[in-house]
Amino acid sequence: MVQFSEEKLAKVKEIIARYPDGKQKSALLPLLHLAQDNFGGWLSAETMDYVASLLQIEPIEVYEVATFYSMYNTKPVGKYVFEVCQTGPCMLNGSDNIIAYISQTLGIKVGETTADGLFTLKTAECLGACGYAPMMQLGKHYREHLTKDKVDAIISECRTAAAANN
Amino acid sequence: MAKAMQLNTMGRKLLLEKAHVEGIRYFDVYRREGGYRSVEKALKTMTQEEIVEEVKKSGLRGRGGAGFPAGMKWGFIAKPEGVPRHLVCNADESEPGTFKDRYLMEFIPHLLIEGLIVASYALGSNATYIYIRGEYAWIPDILEQAIAEAKANGFLGKNILGTGFDCEIYVQRGAGAYICGEETALIESLEGKRGNPRIKPPFPAIKGVWGRPTVVNNVETLAAVVPIINEGGEEYAKIGVGKSTGTKLISACGNINKPGVYEIDMTISVEEFIYSDEYCGGIPNGKRLKACIPGGSSVPILPANLLLKTAKGETRLMNYESLSDGGFATGSMMGSGGFIVLDEDQCVVRNTYSLARFYRHESCGQCSPCREGTGWMEKVLLRLENGEGKISDIDLLWDIQSKIEGNTICPLGDAASWPVAAAIRHFRDEFEWHVTHAAEAQTRNFGLAHYADPIYVPV
Repeated sequence: MVQFSEEKLAKVKEIIARYPDGKQKSALLPLLHLAQDNFGGWLSAETMDYVASLLQIEPIEVYEVATFYSMYNTKPVGKYVFEVCQTGPCMLNGSDNIIAYISQTLGIKVGETTADGLFTLKTAECLGACGYAPMMQLGKHYREHLTKDKVDAIISECRTAAAANN
Repeated sequence: MAKAMQLNTMGRKLLLEKAHVEGIRYFDVYRREGGYRSVEKALKTMTQEEIVEEVKKSGLRGRGGAGFPAGMKWGFIAKPEGVPRHLVCNADESEPGTFKDRYLMEFIPHLLIEGLIVASYALGSNATYIYIRGEYAWIPDILEQAIAEAKANGFLGKNILGTGFDCEIYVQRGAGAYICGEETALIESLEGKRGNPRIKPPFPAIKGVWGRPTVVNNVETLAAVVPIINEGGEEYAKIGVGKSTGTKLISACGNINKPGVYEIDMTISVEEFIYSDEYCGGIPNGKRLKACIPGGSSVPILPANLLLKTAKGETRLMNYESLSDGGFATGSMMGSGGFIVLDEDQCVVRNTYSLARFYRHESCGQCSPCREGTGWMEKVLLRLENGEGKISDIDLLWDIQSKIEGNTICPLGDAASWPVAAAIRHFRDEFEWHVTHAAEAQTRNFGLAHYADPIYVPV
């Protein structure tokens, strides 16, 4: 069953308190981030219904928001999601080659997840790191000035971290 | 005399002057370096109206892209009895080529917090929100730490500096949507909804977040309030030229030796900005300049010959007036300051396709011309890029963009149209070459062609 810990519920309460009384729906985006981080990196219908119940809004109000914003995953994703920027300035600096290299190295196409469930490759539109191109988002942080060597290093770093956590 | 004054202000830094001081991210160092003086001055010695007046006098223009006078925007806020007002900081920086606000927030977050406190006081906002793009996921921690430090030192919270003014600042993360940089979409998003822009009027200054009077300002705009209050609006207005007052952050990227964020005083030339070692440091590998998008992906792309000089043959400067000199026929815009340089090896068709794909992805889908038109432009551009296009496709593109522009609720439609229109306007022969030399276009780029040739100026 989907349920936040007591600690997370306290955080939920703190977030809702930022808005005027009766405007708790404003907490929807922050709560969806919290839920996605907590419940396996994606938002299942069950998770979204749970968030709706916390905010006392209709589930449809959550679904329509979750499907609008590109950062919310409405399908399961790998443990490590590579989101490579492909817009204008990154393209000028070779992002297409980086995307192709990751695809070839991991043996997956854009939008796919490796069979071991470790990696998902996605493309992203401008992430605001144009001066540090090519780049990608990996979890909370950016990986910038990407080269093939750097990509290799990031992949092995992820594999090592995953092995250590098991 | 005029010359001497210009020299005095040359290279003047107001926002990033202290950005490299070690530990400036933290309150103690920031305060030691003179931080939070503007809060003391504003809250203890100035009325709300006096602050708005200083900002008006400064000539500060919105730094998010539209360039609307900030003081005037503040002056519009409605003050109905008993209704709370809100200041919202737009940190949804998403215009391709733009990464200046990120730099400010990451390296000198207290400057933004300081500006926010002064602006909140001027506007009467007791609860102020920073709406930051969701992908900048590590920055809310930096901002929240700065907020906590400011609060612990009496600059935020209840009864700030004993003046009776209460203010809280909250950080709200978006979740990946360029459209939320548009102020009414941002407000919708802050209310926990899809980022669909609202029809204006009513403007946010009358009915904004939760139906309350709201001012939405860009990060850089709010940071600029600090030097304006410290030095006075008139002093601030002495920097720069014409209606381009103060300093502007430029985020430079693309094919240049030194990509990064630079603070300029808007008196330097575009040529100096690209080639001087103080700024972009020229183009890598000795390549030649082909084109540039000087103000973020939405503004018109210019070929090298129109970028460095205006159609009248004058030196083009890095400021609002000079960059837009010649209108859309031969000029561009300052926009958000996202400066994208293309060298001779870049393909304008491919670049335009990449931007069209971006706008298709980011269209919220509310207005048909934008929802349908952006997808259509992307498809036609991909066809041309892949050597499968027809000459009539170029006219089709022109037709589509002209039917999106001006026919949508928010400016995203215009933003999607302008790059396509400008690319065809100035690089039509490159598009045609992709049709007439379809096979060759798959193996090499059109190159520099005549795009850097001097332009004949009739005397």
